[in-house]
Amino acid sequence: MPEESLLTDDVRALIGSAVPLSTVQVTRRAYQRALDVYLGEHDQGPAEGEDVPGYVIEALNSETDPPPIPALMPQSILISNEWQFERPLRMGETLEKTHRIVDISERFGGRFGYSINVRTEVALSEPGSGVVVARNVHTMTQYNAADARDGGES
Amino acid sequence: MSAPVFAALREGDELPPLELQPNLGQVIRYCALNWNFPPFFYDPEAAKAVGMPGTIVPGPLKVGLIYRAVEAWLGDAGFIRQVRAAHRRPDLTNRPITIAGRVARVYEEDGEQRADLEMAIMNQDGQPSVRGFAVVQFR
Repeated sequence: MPEESLLTDDVRALIGSAVPLSTVQVTRRAYQRALDVYLGEHDQGPAEGEDVPGYVIEALNSETDPPPIPALMPQSILISNEWQFERPLRMGETLEKTHRIVDISERFGGRFGYSINVRTEVALSEPGSGVVVARNVHTMTQYNAADARDGGES
Repeated sequence: MSAPVFAALREGDELPPLELQPNLGQVIRYCALNWNFPPFFYDPEAAKAVGMPGTIVPGPLKVGLIYRAVEAWLGDAGFIRQVRAAHRRPDLTNRPITIAGRVARVYEEDGEQRADLEMAIMNQDGQPSVRGFAVVQFR
């Protein structure tokens, strides 16, 4: 465990910082790839403008790379992730992607020992209005394997 | 299986369990979907080097499998507003998992009919590898 908090003012200043990534389109190919991964199925998909399943959100990840997150500890692991939808994604629509660091917090104790949680989100919003349609949220825990204990719930 | 009806939904109602066995091919296709290829997802030796007994199922793939279980139950009755997975234990590829769920809350909010669902992925030893949560909105 470090002798003092690793959450310096510079690190705290990252909370809330947002980076526009690019625009992405919900394409038929994205739909078909996601369907293959999650259901092992193949079809032509819905017509333009119709709803697509939420897991298509993962197929939009590869279009852009998120900005790097500072590595404050030697190891990093995904502890939770989440998809949020204000409405279903629609076939053919174009959306703007924005990456944001939602929160950075530290934890003392638990299965990882001293650890730092970094919660990030990629928001998909309608161009022009900026109305958020969906969010893909990840929480990574950074930790030192030497301080962690095996198994058990956090 | 008939789609749930909001008026008939009760707290404690259980979703039909969904039994799956994610395999290495599915994991590799998931990596390709994201164009992100951490070796411990597809290389058993790389997995062992980071303390895993074998290749594991990626967390974001598992949240999608929970989504799939909810979608199979909900059908055309509504859409899934939220699905969340808190990862407790790794799931190895080619091992059976069961996705279970129950209705935790039935309510109206912002003029919409919604239900909260408690979800879990159970491994073959009966241990939860994921504690999940979902919100569905009825049409």
